[in-house]
This record gives sequence, C-alpha cells and structure tokens, in this order.
Amino acid sequence: MRDHLVLYINGKVHEVRGGDVFVPLTTYLRERLGLVGTKIVCSEGDCGSCTVLIGRVRPGGGGGGGGEAGGIDYRPVCGCIQLMGQLDAVHVVTVEGLSDEGELNPVQREMVRCQGTQCGFCTPGFVVAMCGHLEEERRPTKQTWTRALTGNLCRCTGYASILEAGMAVDAGPGKWRRVGERYADAAIAQRLAAWERDAVEVCDGLARFAKPVDVRAAAAFRAAHPDCTVVSGGTDIGVQVNKRMRAITTLLSTAGLRDLEEVRVEAGAGSISTLIAGARASLTEVERAAAKALPEFARMLENFGSPLIRNAGTIGGNLANGSPIGDTMPAMFVLETEVELTGTNGSRRVNMNDFYTGYRQTVMQPGELVTAVRMRLPAAGELFQVYKISRRKDLDISSFTAAIWGRVSGGRIETMRIAYGGVGPVILRLRKTEAALTGAEFSEATFAAAGAVARSEIAPISDVRGAAAYRLQLAHNILGKFYAQTAALQRTGGRAATNGQGEHA
Amino acid sequence: MTVVGKNIPHESAATHVAGRSTFIDDVPPRSDEVFLEIFGSPVAHGRLKSLDLDAARAVKGAVGIFTAKDVPGHNHFGPIIQDEHLLAAEETTFVGDPLVLIAAATREAAVRARLLVRAEMEPLPAIFSVDQAIAAGSFIGPERVIETGNVKAALAAAEHTLTGTLDINGQEHFYLESQAAIAYPGEGGEMLVLSSTQHPTEVQSIVAEVLGVPFNHVTVQCRRMGGGFGGKETQAAGPAAMAALVAAKLKRPARIVLDRDTDMALTGKRHPFTAFYTVGFSSTGRISALQLDLFSNGGCTADLSPSVLERAMLHSDNAYFLPNARITGRVCKTNLPSNTAFRGFGGPQGVAAKENILEEIAIFLKRDALDIRLANLYGIGERDITPYGQKVENNVLPQLISDLRDSAAYDRRRSEINAFNAQSTSHLRGLALTPVKFGISFTKKTLNQANALVNVYTDGSALVTTGATEMGQGVYTRIRQLVADDLGIPYERVRIGPTATDKNCNTSPTAASSGTDLNGAAALDATGRIKSRLAAFAAPLLNASAENLRFADDFVFDPAALDKRIAFLDLVCRAYLERIDLGERGFYITPGVDFDRDTGKGTPFLYYTNGAAVAEVLIDRFTGELAVPRVDLLMDAGIPLNPGIDRGQIIGGFIQGMGWVTTEEVVFDAKGVLLSHSPTTYKIPNISDVPEIFNVRFFNNPDSAKSLKRSKALGEPPLLLSIAVWAAVKNALAYAAAGAIPPLSLPATGEQILMRLSHLRQTAARRAIPESAPAR
Repeated sequence: MRDHLVLYINGKVHEVRGGDVFVPLTTYLRERLGLVGTKIVCSEGDCGSCTVLIGRVRPGGGGGGGGEAGGIDYRPVCGCIQLMGQLDAVHVVTVEGLSDEGELNPVQREMVRCQGTQCGFCTPGFVVAMCGHLEEERRPTKQTWTRALTGNLCRCTGYASILEAGMAVDAGPGKWRRVGERYADAAIAQRLAAWERDAVEVCDGLARFAKPVDVRAAAAFRAAHPDCTVVSGGTDIGVQVNKRMRAITTLLSTAGLRDLEEVRVEAGAGSISTLIAGARASLTEVERAAAKALPEFARMLENFGSPLIRNAGTIGGNLANGSPIGDTMPAMFVLETEVELTGTNGSRRVNMNDFYTGYRQTVMQPGELVTAVRMRLPAAGELFQVYKISRRKDLDISSFTAAIWGRVSGGRIETMRIAYGGVGPVILRLRKTEAALTGAEFSEATFAAAGAVARSEIAPISDVRGAAAYRLQLAHNILGKFYAQTAALQRTGGRAATNGQGEHA
Repeated sequence: MTVVGKNIPHESAATHVAGRSTFIDDVPPRSDEVFLEIFGSPVAHGRLKSLDLDAARAVKGAVGIFTAKDVPGHNHFGPIIQDEHLLAAEETTFVGDPLVLIAAATREAAVRARLLVRAEMEPLPAIFSVDQAIAAGSFIGPERVIETGNVKAALAAAEHTLTGTLDINGQEHFYLESQAAIAYPGEGGEMLVLSSTQHPTEVQSIVAEVLGVPFNHVTVQCRRMGGGFGGKETQAAGPAAMAALVAAKLKRPARIVLDRDTDMALTGKRHPFTAFYTVGFSSTGRISALQLDLFSNGGCTADLSPSVLERAMLHSDNAYFLPNARITGRVCKTNLPSNTAFRGFGGPQGVAAKENILEEIAIFLKRDALDIRLANLYGIGERDITPYGQKVENNVLPQLISDLRDSAAYDRRRSEINAFNAQSTSHLRGLALTPVKFGISFTKKTLNQANALVNVYTDGSALVTTGATEMGQGVYTRIRQLVADDLGIPYERVRIGPTATDKNCNTSPTAASSGTDLNGAAALDATGRIKSRLAAFAAPLLNASAENLRFADDFVFDPAALDKRIAFLDLVCRAYLERIDLGERGFYITPGVDFDRDTGKGTPFLYYTNGAAVAEVLIDRFTGELAVPRVDLLMDAGIPLNPGIDRGQIIGGFIQGMGWVTTEEVVFDAKGVLLSHSPTTYKIPNISDVPEIFNVRFFNNPDSAKSLKRSKALGEPPLLLSIAVWAAVKNALAYAAAGAIPPLSLPATGEQILMRLSHLRQTAARRAIPESAPAR
C-alpha cells in the first residue's frame, strides 16, 4: 500500500502527496510546477485549452493505439477535469514536453507557417491534441483532423488554418517522432506497470483518497464509505469540483481496476450477439468496438462530447452518473442492456430499464460498483436508430436524445421500443407510444399519429438547452424521421448507407 | 528583401505553439501577492440593506475585504457618460454587479471567503428586454436620427410597402483569456498594472481616478491579449482598477483573473437590437423609401452604447442606395450587464436589419433576392450618396458581386436548390449572397489619432512601440513589417515592444479595425523623420543628394549610383558618434473625417472595406438541425499587407459571425441571471462547423489610394459576411412558406428553425383550401 501518488510528467518522476491528490491536474501543473503552457479557460472540459496527453501502459495485447503490447498509449484529455488522484502511474505530457530538443516539432512548425495561431491562448491545447492525433493516426485526412479537434475551441482563426497545418504535417515514419520516441518509453513503461499494481491510500486531514487495484477491495471501500465520491473518467466529477457543486472528502478512484477496460462482442444463440464493455472502457474504446458491431450507436458516440472527453470518460461512469441527458442511455434502454453490478458479495445483473429510480438515483446498493454493461445487438432485419439533438453538432450536451428499436414484418410493426432523454428527470421509455405502434401498419401516417401519442406521455421542462415546446416537437418529429430513414433502408435492403444524407433520395 | 505584402507568420507564433507566450496569469506570482475574487449582487436591481463579511474575514488566508467606501478617489467612470461604479455603494443594477472585493493569499482562500459573504438586498423593479424598456421609457441618451429625402411622401407613393420587426440577440465575446490584471504598487503612489486590455490609456485614467493619483503615477502595460474582439475595449478597466485598488490598499501586488463563468456573467456583450421597419419599393424591387427604427439593449450603463447605435444606423444602408430614408435609434436602459463593443460595433446589426428587408422584398415579389440586391446597390457616378451624406467612392461591389456570382456558381446552384426543395420531404436547402460595405474610421473624430515611438540602436536594430495592442489580429506583425521595409532592414531586426502608457500617451483603443491604419501610419511618420536625418548625414558621405537616397536591403544608397552605398549599421554607428538622434516619435491623424451626430450628416469614414459572401444551408425538416455545407467569400483587402494574416482575419471573422447568426444564444432567466454562462451552455462554432466547401479569395483592387500602402482594414468587415448564412436560412424557410414571408429572428438556432417550420406547416395546412395568394 502506497501513501502517495507517483507519476511521470514530461519524462520526470513526481510524487504527489496530501491535499495535492485532490486538485485538478492543471492546478498542479501551473501552480506547483510552473508549467504554464497548459491554459485554463472553462474548467469544465468544454474548450480544450488545457489539453494534455495522458500515457497509460497498454493492457496486455488488447487496446487500441496500434503499438506493441506493453508500450504506452498516449491520449489527449482535458487536464482541468482530471483530478491528480486519477493519475497514479501515468505519464503526463504537456506542451512543454513536445518540442524536439527545444526546437519546434513538425506540428508546431506547420501551425506557425499556416498561421494556425492568432491570439495564442487556445494554441497549446491544439498543438497537444494534434500531436495526440498523430499517436493514433499515421495517415491523417481532413476528416480525421476535424474529428480529432472537436474538443478544442478557437475564437480567432475560424479553424481553417489549423486544418491546413494538420494537413501539411508530414507524419510518415522518420518524419514524425511519436511521444514514445521522445522519451525513454520502455523504461518508463516498466516502472508505470509496476506502480499500477500498487494500491494507494492517501489521507489529508479529513480527506481520504483510495485507488484499489481489485474490484472486491473497491467494493469494500465503497461499503465502508457510503458517502464517497467514485471517480472513473472524471469528466463530470471534475466539473462539479471546479464549479463548487461538490466538495470531496472521500474519493475512490477506479483507475486501478484495469481489467474492467475490455470491450468485446460475444456471439450468442441464433444470430444474437452481445457487446460486452467493462465499466472502465473509455467511450473511445466503446466507439471503436461499436463501429463494426453497432454502427448507429458508434455514429452517435462520434458526436458525444469530444475525443478529449471520450478518451477520459467511461461507459460505466456515464451510466452510474445517471444524467437524464446522458447520451449512451437511450440506446441501452431499447436494447434491453444489462448492467452488471459488483459488491462485496459478488455480482448481479440489472436490466437497464430498471436501473434508474429517479433524478440521478439508481438501484445500486452502497457497496456496489458498475462493472460491466452487456448490450444485446440488433439482429439482421431489426430496425435501430439513435438520435442526439444539440444546439451545436459536436461537443454539446443534448437538448434531446432518442433511440428506437423495432421489428417489422409483412408491412406491420411487430414490436417497437422507444426511449427518450432530455424530456424528464430520467431517461424515459415511451410505453404508450410503443403500444400504439405495435401491430400498426409500417407507414408514414402511423408514425405521424404516434408522434401525437409521444407528446402526450412526456412533460419536458424549458431550460437553456431548449423550450418545452421544442422538445415536444422533437419528440413528435423524431418518429417521422425514424420512419423516413428506416423505410428508405428497407427499400435499399439493409443497414448499409445511412450517413444522414441517405434519405435525400 | 521587403516583407510588406508577404505572408509573414504572426510575430508570436513560435512562442504560442510552444506554450511559451506569457499571458497575464502566466506571470509568476510574487511571494506577497494576493488574489482577488468579486462578490456581486444577487439581484438584478436592488438596494443594499446589509453586508455580512465576518465569516469571509475569518477564512484562513483572507487578507483584506473591500467595499465602495474603501475607494479613495472616484468610484464613478465611463467612456461616454460617467454612470458606472467600480463597486456598488447602495444600488445595484444587474445580477453580479460588484459589491465586495476579497483579497486572499491563495485562490482557494479567496473563493472560500467569497462563498461566505452574505448580502441582504431590497429588490427593486427590474427590466430586461427592449420591449420592456420601450414600454417604460427607459433610455440612455437622446434619440438619434439620420434622414434623407421625404420618407412619408415616398412611402405614400410607393407601389408596394412591407412592414415588419426583426429581433437580433446579443453575442458573448468568448475571448479565451478572461479579463485579467496584476497591479504592482510602487513608491510614492506609483502603480504598474499589467492588463489584458485593448485600451491601456483608458485603464490608466480609470486606475488613476479610482486611486486619486495623477495619471503620470500609473503605468499600464499590455504585451498581448488572449483575444479581445471589443470585449476588452472598455471592460478591462474594471478588473484592472479593482486590482490596483487592492494593491494600493494592501501595498502588495494584487492579481485578478475572472473565472469563465464570472467573466461571462459580469461583462457586456454584443448589443441585442430590435428593428422596426416600413419599406416602400417598386415591382422591380427597387427601394424608394425606408423608415427604420432601431432600439438597442444597452444594459445597465451607457458604456459605448451610443457609439454602437450610431454605427448601426450608419450601416443600415449596407451597400444599397436609399433615396428617401429616416433611420432613428435609441439605446434602451435595462438591468443587464452593460453591453459593449464587439467586432463590428453595431455594424452587423444595422446590416442584418437591411438584408432581412431585402430577403422579404424578394419573397414578396417572388424574385431571387440577388436580383433585388443588384437593383439597389450603390451606383458608380449616380445613386452614390449615403443617407448621412457621404459619397460612396471606389465602389467595387458591382464588379465584386458579379465575380463572386460566377465563381460560386450562384445561378446553377439556385436551380439545383429549386429542384431539390420541390421534391425532398426530409431536408430544405437555402442560398443567399450578401455584400458588405464597412466604413473605416472611428465615428468619434478625436479617436482618429495615433502616436508611435521608434528607437534605432547602434547595433542596427530597431524597437517600435505604438498605442496598438495585440489581441491575435497581427497588428504587431504588420507594424514590424512596415517599419522594417521603411528602414530597409531585415524584419528580424525590428522588435515591437509591449504597449505601455509610459511610452505612448493618450492613445486610442485598438478598435474600429483601425489598429494598423492609425498606428502603422504613426510609426512610418517616425521612421520617415529618422531617415531624413540619416539621409542628410549620409548624403555627403555618398556624394549624393539626401532626397535621392533609398533605404533598402540593409543599405543606404542612391539608386542612380549603386556602386557607392553605406550599410545601415555603419551609417547609424557613424550618425550616433556625430550626435544625431536615432529615436523619434511619430504622430498621425486621419485626414478629412468628420461626422455631426446631431444633424446625422458628415463624412465619418476615410474609406469603405467591401466584400461579399455566398452561403448555402441545409436544414433537417424533422429536427431543425442546420448545416452550412458551402461558403464562398470574396473580400476587397486593397493590396494586402500580409495575405496570411489577412486571410486569418477574414476566415476568423466570418466564422465568429456565423456563430452569432446560428448557434450562439445569450439566454437570461426571468430574474436577469445569465443561463448561458459557460461553453457548456453557450456554443461558439466548433471545427466541425467549418463549411465543408469554403472558398476564400481576395478581390484585386489596387485603387484604394486613400489607405495605408493601399491596404484595407479587415478586422471587422468579414464578420458581417456571415449574415449570408442567416439570409440563406430565411431563404430556405421561404421555400416552406407557400409564398408567405417566414418570420425569423437572429440567431437562427436549430430550435427556432424547427419551431418556425412547424408553424409554417400548420399554417400551410390551414391554407391548403382554398389556395390564396398572400394579400398584403
């Protein structure tokens, strides 16, 4: 048992003790270490000015990144919403750690040459995010650069010059030095791997921090500290801490539970497969796995937060956090996903539809943690669509979310499941609308009429993300959109091309 | 090797990308420094009954707590009307209005203490909207009028008239670096203030007045801002003065860095406007008369609102001739944060009001809006006098629009869109071309002046300082380019120092797109006089006459006798030994500009910057979601000083404007609390919002003789091109409106689009039988 954190920052070992365990990474970098290249703007993960790379030892064999097993995966995340406690046994690389022996690296050089920087305040975040993209993508395109940088806001350039800079970088072998080539990565990886296996507990006055390394110990800690804050990816906890909505006295980090990171597809009886994701699987990993297994879900995840958020945020965290506008939930509702909960007495499975009991309330017992989700995948011929409507397409909390799954045969609706988010204190299944559709003709008129039923069984509120009338209209119209999309798909005979424009024809 | 006209990277780019550029909060703290937090009014309009500061004082690390009675000098200031307080003494006028300053040894302690302050307030009646202000007669300053011809008679005689209202919402600056300052007390009442400000001189005067010391005791310095956009023209002064007040009181350095939520809640924004209009026009779409009444929401104090209103009125012709017009304007006083300068400074609202009218005329006449626009453009040699009496010269718009119409394939795409909208049940497309004619110069004549200091050192390097502040727009880079070429020395040997009030006095804000025009000209005035002295000294050495000498390629020579030349370094060393002054102060005033706001007549602008945009939008009929798949911009930059930086201004300004007209919505609740107070709830454009096809070109215009090196100011004009996106949405909705004019306010959010579409659908359903033409 260690009583402090240990991690690398720009290739140097740092031990973190006492109250520093509870501060955000950016505070630690700027105020304790004087590394002021990393900027703070929003303190809530919505601008990317604080982007840093977090390097973690690649889990044996699996995982993304494309490097050899045992190496380090460096992923860009928002440093302002990473509490230091989450960062035991990692390698943090900041903008100061990305130059080539004091010279500008190729990303930096192209940002200069292409006028990719004006006022300069967002620039370090962009540079780090761009270097992060080249960790994973050797042949970046305009599209991959755009997808990679949705988490970074710039108010000066209008982004075009930044995209040009990205496109101008020669990322070929020998031209671009990955982070692992800048540091003694093999040696660092070895030490990180050893530190990872250490459980950590830190006390600072009344405040207490724990990083257990097995699920049972984590459950026991939670049972012993019912009021503890469990932090997984930290993308919401970090915001609550920064915005003073939450004061932490006891913090339980699940970062040491690395066997909960796996995502796999399990073939079952008949044509039924299940996507099984460990609770600590990052949304990036879930998106990657879903790209083949559940493309409609993956497409929605592409607009979930930003890469910086998805690299940190976990599927289990999103679910346990229980926001009524959590983007992953409606799909899990209609796919009758099972949530695996593990406590000191073992595991149990709960149907997603029974998981929430009220606003941010769940059936979890004090000593339980979410350890996995099991999504039953739609079979061939089953209809499935996911919708996320927000003011801005990327990096925006939804005004309205929806998922619809169903089966049609002989021109009639056999069964239909509908879940909406953003229209009540919890994600809602629209049972009356489902009943109205069941057995009805699969037609535009049916779905138009169902829209009126949908309106009648929800009572959304008006807030900054939209008026109640707007949400009611979306609740109505989304059924029409579902019909238009799936009818077109049925005509073209399959789940092939739905790029959002497919319905033009 | 000359550098003017070349694509030179931004002068700070290399340190920006390495994270080594220093912004205010990157300055290492001194060990005795304190950090400030502001406690503001919990109500929009109220009277302070009592303050409980005991718990805050008791917080470990709290060093000092200050209220209005601690202000030694004036507690009142303001750029036009002295109606602002640094700290509210009794009456508060918006939610967040500063009441108490908390100084603590750490940020954490300052926040903890702030959370423990309690204020008991007696709430007073509050108003928030333009409508409420009009009803209550709550205004700031008098009504302004610009008038030409006889509107009443012309409206009566018009073939057609249309009457309507356009609501335009505000816009948050969202500079990435929030308002920030550090004040260092010196000896004998001196104060050094590092401030993230577009207007060091104003910060200097306000700090001095708050402290009750002469201006010469206060030095304000700004190396750079992490974005400004107008938000740091007047509103940097408050935080800076707070830091100075605390520094003077405690005799310790004081730092203030507003967190994002506080910055957004406390500072003013682009003014919301409501435009009421009646327009008369012929069947060809030519406008004969316009009555336009503009009401801006100024917020709780005047700030720059009267000037913003004035520029809105001066731009409500946009690029179109108005034979008869009466344009009135009033600033509404409300209980919101005081709205302020924002890139365009009222121009965008004036132009949006006008472009909306043109779209509506087109819908009414069932014509393409481009035809209506062309029919109304200012002429060349005729129909070229603005409502305020300035003649439109060097009018390139007819040619520029024709060029853009071709390059953007406007006509072909119009037919495609007609066909698409006729058959698609899932989506709507819209297309619009809008021009801009933006007047360059401060409309307040006094501000059209600048001074510069140029020092040449005996190693042949030069240091320039001016009143221009660097906020990312590249003014430092351009001035370096101008000075390097004028002295004929390499760009690398010219440095531009931090902008500071002890080097350049009585400067104007870096605003109104004028930073380079004014300060660059002042710098050239200085270099010109240094060169005169050097040339007079060099002439006998070179056996040439001084007026024939050229400074280029690091040498001084007579082009007619190139074999005899002297190196610049050699010359300045010898000149120094002979006691010739190598430093100079330059000064510049814009010639010929004048505007009388009482009569609404004059020549407020030195020249106009022109451009045009074609924007295409795609709307999801089910969800209202908006995409902008293609934009084509054509901008008249004269002869660009730095095409790379100029292009950055065009694209950056356009995308920022696109945010204003689409996703950026400033939302207050019914009690005046800002709900859109952080990037989670306020959505500026994201990289994925950049149009998939985005063509940006310069229009070749070598004839702009009036401007500096025949370049044109570009800071603000491109923002107004974004109105094409909004107009394209209106155009798309018109396709769904069955001949009626679809109402649309600004911004065109997905929510508004969906609700408008739903309403149009219901209206269309009701209208289905019997089919009737709109009777107006």
